[in-house]
Amino acid sequence: MVSVINTVDTSHEDMIHDAQMDYYGTRLATCSSDRSVKIFDVRNGGQILIADLRGHEGPVWQVAWAHPMYGNILASCSYDRKVIIWREENGTWEKSHEHAGHDSSVNSVCWAPHDYGLILACGSSDGAISLLTYTGEGQWEVKKINNAHTIGCNAVSWAPAVVPGSLIDHPSGQKPNYIKRFASGGCDNLIKLWKEEEDGQWKEEQKLEAHSDWVRDVAWAPSIGLPTSTIAGCSQDGRVFIWTCDDASSNTWSPKLLHKFNDVVWHVSWSITANILAVSGGDNKVTLWKESVDGQWVCISDVNKGQGSVSASVTEGQQNEQ
Amino acid sequence: MKLKEVDRTAMQAWSPAQNHPIYLATGTSAQQLDATFSTNASLEIFELDLSDPSLDMKSCATFSSSHRYHKLIWGPYKMDSKGDVSGVLIAGGENGNIILYDPSKIIAGDKEVVIAQNDKHTGPVRALDVNIFQTNLVASGANESEIYIWDLNNFATPMTPGAKTQPPEDISCIAWNRQVQHILASASPSGRATVWDLRKNEPIIKVSDHSNRMHCSGLAWHPDVATQMVLASEDDRLPVIQMWDLRFASSPLRVLENHARGILAIAWSMADPELLLSCGKDAKILCSNPNTGEVLYELPTNTQWCFDIQWCPRNPAVLSAASFDGRISVYSIMGGSTDGLRQKQVDKLSSSFGNLDPFGTGQPLPPLQIPQQTAQHSIVLPLKKPPKWIRRPVGASFSFGGKLVTFENVRMPSHQGAEQQQQQHHVFISQVVTEKEFLSRSDQLQQAVQSQGFINYCQKKIDASQTEFEKNVWSFLKVNFEDDSRGKYLELLGYRKEDLGKKHIKEEKEESEFLPSSGGTFNISVSGDIDGLITQALLTGNFESAVDLCLHDNRMADAIILAIAGGQELLARTQKKYFAKSQSKITRLITAVVMKNWKEIVESCDLKNWREALAAVLTYAKPDEFSALCDLLGTRLENEGDSLLQTQACLCYICAGNVEKLVACWTKAQDGSHPLSLQDLIEKVVILRKAVQLTQAMDTSTVGVLLAAKMSQYANLLAAQGSIAAALAFLPDNTNQPNIMQLRDRLCRAQGEPVAGHESPKIPYEKQQLPKGRPGPVAGHHQMPRVQTQQYYPHVRIAPTVTTWSNKTPTALPSHPPAASPSDTQGENPPPPGFIMHGNVNPNAAGQLPTSPGHMHTQVPPYPQPQRPQNGWNDPPALNRVPKKKKMPENFMPPVPITSPIMNPLGDPQSQMLQQQPSAPVPLSSQSSFPQPHLPGGQPFHGVQQPLGQTGMPPSFSKPNIEGAPGAPIGNTFQHVQSLPTKKITKKPIPDEHLILKTTFEDLIQRCLSSATDPQTKRKLDDASKRLEFLYDKLREQTLSPTITSGLHNIARSIETRNYSEGLTMHTHIVSTSNFSETSAFMPVLKVVLTQANKLGV
Repeated sequence: MVSVINTVDTSHEDMIHDAQMDYYGTRLATCSSDRSVKIFDVRNGGQILIADLRGHEGPVWQVAWAHPMYGNILASCSYDRKVIIWREENGTWEKSHEHAGHDSSVNSVCWAPHDYGLILACGSSDGAISLLTYTGEGQWEVKKINNAHTIGCNAVSWAPAVVPGSLIDHPSGQKPNYIKRFASGGCDNLIKLWKEEEDGQWKEEQKLEAHSDWVRDVAWAPSIGLPTSTIAGCSQDGRVFIWTCDDASSNTWSPKLLHKFNDVVWHVSWSITANILAVSGGDNKVTLWKESVDGQWVCISDVNKGQGSVSASVTEGQQNEQ
Repeated sequence: MKLKEVDRTAMQAWSPAQNHPIYLATGTSAQQLDATFSTNASLEIFELDLSDPSLDMKSCATFSSSHRYHKLIWGPYKMDSKGDVSGVLIAGGENGNIILYDPSKIIAGDKEVVIAQNDKHTGPVRALDVNIFQTNLVASGANESEIYIWDLNNFATPMTPGAKTQPPEDISCIAWNRQVQHILASASPSGRATVWDLRKNEPIIKVSDHSNRMHCSGLAWHPDVATQMVLASEDDRLPVIQMWDLRFASSPLRVLENHARGILAIAWSMADPELLLSCGKDAKILCSNPNTGEVLYELPTNTQWCFDIQWCPRNPAVLSAASFDGRISVYSIMGGSTDGLRQKQVDKLSSSFGNLDPFGTGQPLPPLQIPQQTAQHSIVLPLKKPPKWIRRPVGASFSFGGKLVTFENVRMPSHQGAEQQQQQHHVFISQVVTEKEFLSRSDQLQQAVQSQGFINYCQKKIDASQTEFEKNVWSFLKVNFEDDSRGKYLELLGYRKEDLGKKHIKEEKEESEFLPSSGGTFNISVSGDIDGLITQALLTGNFESAVDLCLHDNRMADAIILAIAGGQELLARTQKKYFAKSQSKITRLITAVVMKNWKEIVESCDLKNWREALAAVLTYAKPDEFSALCDLLGTRLENEGDSLLQTQACLCYICAGNVEKLVACWTKAQDGSHPLSLQDLIEKVVILRKAVQLTQAMDTSTVGVLLAAKMSQYANLLAAQGSIAAALAFLPDNTNQPNIMQLRDRLCRAQGEPVAGHESPKIPYEKQQLPKGRPGPVAGHHQMPRVQTQQYYPHVRIAPTVTTWSNKTPTALPSHPPAASPSDTQGENPPPPGFIMHGNVNPNAAGQLPTSPGHMHTQVPPYPQPQRPQNGWNDPPALNRVPKKKKMPENFMPPVPITSPIMNPLGDPQSQMLQQQPSAPVPLSSQSSFPQPHLPGGQPFHGVQQPLGQTGMPPSFSKPNIEGAPGAPIGNTFQHVQSLPTKKITKKPIPDEHLILKTTFEDLIQRCLSSATDPQTKRKLDDASKRLEFLYDKLREQTLSPTITSGLHNIARSIETRNYSEGLTMHTHIVSTSNFSETSAFMPVLKVVLTQANKLGV
């Protein structure tokens, strides 16, 4: 069942391009073609404008909240080729850093799992991906992957920090040796997986080829303690693929077509428990998908204007499974 | 940014949008000669491979043609949506011919690639266009005002759109309308454009600005607006693009004057109507917004003119331009740096030549000098306005708590390109609930815990069980909450004590008939036979010889009987010898029972007999070793390959109360990833934890790693369904496991609790002020517990019983303003008190745990204790829980028949010591009568006479027997240990008004005692009398709530009227309405007394 619990009138003056809740689900950040980023307090069904952030000189495509252990930090990226990191200090939101290292529209920003520190991946239409790492005292170290996706990178998404297969976290005190990975999707119709080498350089690890048009979005599923890694990718070609890798050592990924839509699919988002995928299509429709017992992906809901209901069939299927 | 280039002087056509991969077809241009003045012609197909960073285009096929081309288009005719068939290439030739090629055949290298051709036109065919609605329809234009409509299904006979325009003129451009399929426009160098309606078969409007300077080189319809089109002029005197609206055809709607010289070609993007490409004799390629006239982009080009320009239909950011210098270039309009590409070229050069001495001259070449112009950072800026295709119009993202944030930008039917009017920019936050059954089951579990209705809950589960195993598990769990749990366990394992008892009694009766009458005389023979020798040995008090003789003669019973008289050591030796000799199947069992070596049974029994082993443990094991033994058995079962046995291990762990191992075992056997199977597990775990809390001295507050993982997974699932409050309730709170603490923090905040001050959101994590270097997140977590316990305390406070208490002892509460109880406003259930394991309310408890193991039990009460903190250490600390904690053995009857005659003198010295030593300062009646366990060996007759003279057990012996028997209530041990520090306390008097309670209850117990006959009942009553001390203590402290005390008075009144059943009803009422932790110390005992009184009718 999907029921609207809050309708936020953003008062943006142009198209909204992204809306993201913070870690706790209490604050909403939105961004728009009107070049602004807005933050609302949406607790208890309310909507209080906390900040109206101006600083971009073009449409703002995406916003991303950093993990709260680093404070209240929001990153935004824009057509103006800039990434801005906003920060709340004593209740006031201000620009904390501006990254102008791209030659074209920056289409996607994504914070790394908090375990790695404060690292932001940015994908740009100039084909490059840059990685900003906070090194202290207001300094950000920049690494850039040039030509990651010819004529443009549209999306970046980090792999979860928990190494798949390990239910139990590493013994405390000992810093686990994470392998940093992220996925990117671009105008070369590819999803690429990137891995940080021991020398700190980023290397292309894998190309996932299934789409026949621009990859609009990628979403690496959160880890739920299972050994399988999962990535969702959606494309201009209307297809949504679910990529899975059961064996981390061989690093072989296999695609499964979730659905072929009649229009471009713009965005995919996993639920926190990684069992539901929200797919946003060009027909302004949002659908929710869930993997059934036999491994097929089933649409469980149409979310139209946020309203809809989960179809009964799948729920029954789950009961039968017991 | 330039992506690719091909050195060709050619017309170009992109493959249709459906086609993947993207191809670019080139056909040798008829108008321009290349530098070699070659007259050869060819049709080529290249693939656009953007993953290849080089500037080269991959050539797929070349077809040598006898024609040169004025126009080349690629139509999607007969293509399916998958693009398997690659459409048709349509070429306009020099001599009035139109040729259809099959591109797939060209790519395949076939010789016969021409589908059809027709030379009906006069002069060169410069204009071609495919109807986008009916892709079999192609319009062509040539000299003499000739326009034909070709049906590719019937190519031989073209149609005409109407009568030829007069005077005859060349047709330079032709275009189908993008919105209305039967509308066609044509234009000529003379500057006139004609719009045709094919249904009417006539021109419907002619467009001309009467300047006579428009030399139409380009014509394009608006992609979205049916009545608008643009015309481009080649004339240097009027290098403009005119935007026309047919509804106002008298003059152009807008004129774009961005080129300095004549325009050679235009292309309107189908992907974004605000992007119009134009190239001209000023050597510029511009991208303008025809709706505003603004130039959005100027492509960086060389100084050559371009005569053809095309958008790539499939990749909207890509375009191609053909220039007079014999090159086709592919560009992206998204900007970007070309450095990468150039560097690649340089690299390529270097790798070809090598930097090191390629010619073997002995001298390495100097490093390659990169031309200065490429060395500088050349940034190509993107379009001034973002193209439509990168403007994401819709989105849906999940956030914590199963919330879905969605937005959409509903496009109003656009008018004149003004599409942003009256849009509502709303974001919707929705709650997604997908696991209804999971939620309802979770709710039931929560209710069961809240109402303490465990037995009911378990029973329901048993009834609903679909498998035998499931039923077993729930039956085992249920037993934990019932009296005589061990006995019930045994029943579940298939051993009913009553049954055995009946059998036994029957046999006894039969036996007794054969017993010789003890009153008769007997003959003492001292003859030389074995009897005589034994007699002699006995007469001389030489038990050892007598026993040996008996053994030798295989008179086992005699040997054992004699050994008993001969003292403990002899008995032990005799037993050993007996076991060594005996070969019976059950010898090992008997051995284990007698030697109390349960470990032996558990360790070495055949696992098929796990039930029997468990039964034995249940029967005999002492409480302190009971858990370990069950564990051991469980571990053995778990390690067994047999999956059936593995699951049975769960039962052992349930008996052992070992939550962590149950989780591990369960997880191994079941797929725990599905919400409902996780629910299955959590139900058991929660119930078992409750059971362990009630019955065992074990510290249940610690949460193992695996359990923590499962519980947080469960809480996560609940949260993901929006049940934040439930998630919080189930989350174990007294743990310092980072993941749980983080989740707790997240849940609390997600609940929308107002946080005092703006900076506090960072508290749970060590405030990381954009940390230096690599921040170690682990360090941040240590801060959490204390902060949280403060913060989340309000939940505890609003639990009903706690508030009652807070009235009386306000100082005990943390200094939270009572008003700051936000959960009320949230409207969600506060976590039930039963869930709150004390860690929350007593922040120090966790800290003390590891440091003071000896006092663990006293300091870790299982229930929330905020209400009585002043009952500090000097209150009898364990009193409120010890009786309950040992509930299991309380009513537990040890198996007397086998052991008592033998065991009596032996006892278990160790356990007796344990019991006696600590209790010494506070001697209790039951133990003061304990006999000396060792019979002195020098008093043989005394020893012999006892068994001979008395057939039954002396009453004074029975008690110690029971106490010393395996499985006896060892709870006393703890009690005594713990009461050590309390012995000097002078108790306050019971308030006068409540004194009546004490006198009534004690009087009742005395009455019961005097009329009770069996020792068991007496013992129970004695025990009850002791335990009621807890009640009196509470009365002294005045810590009982008024409802409970008044209820107790009611019971007292009913006792006075001897209406015990009424008293029991009131008892039930009190128990069901009061806080369990408040009454658990004495209410069960009170019930025992009332029940006994009722039974005895005193």
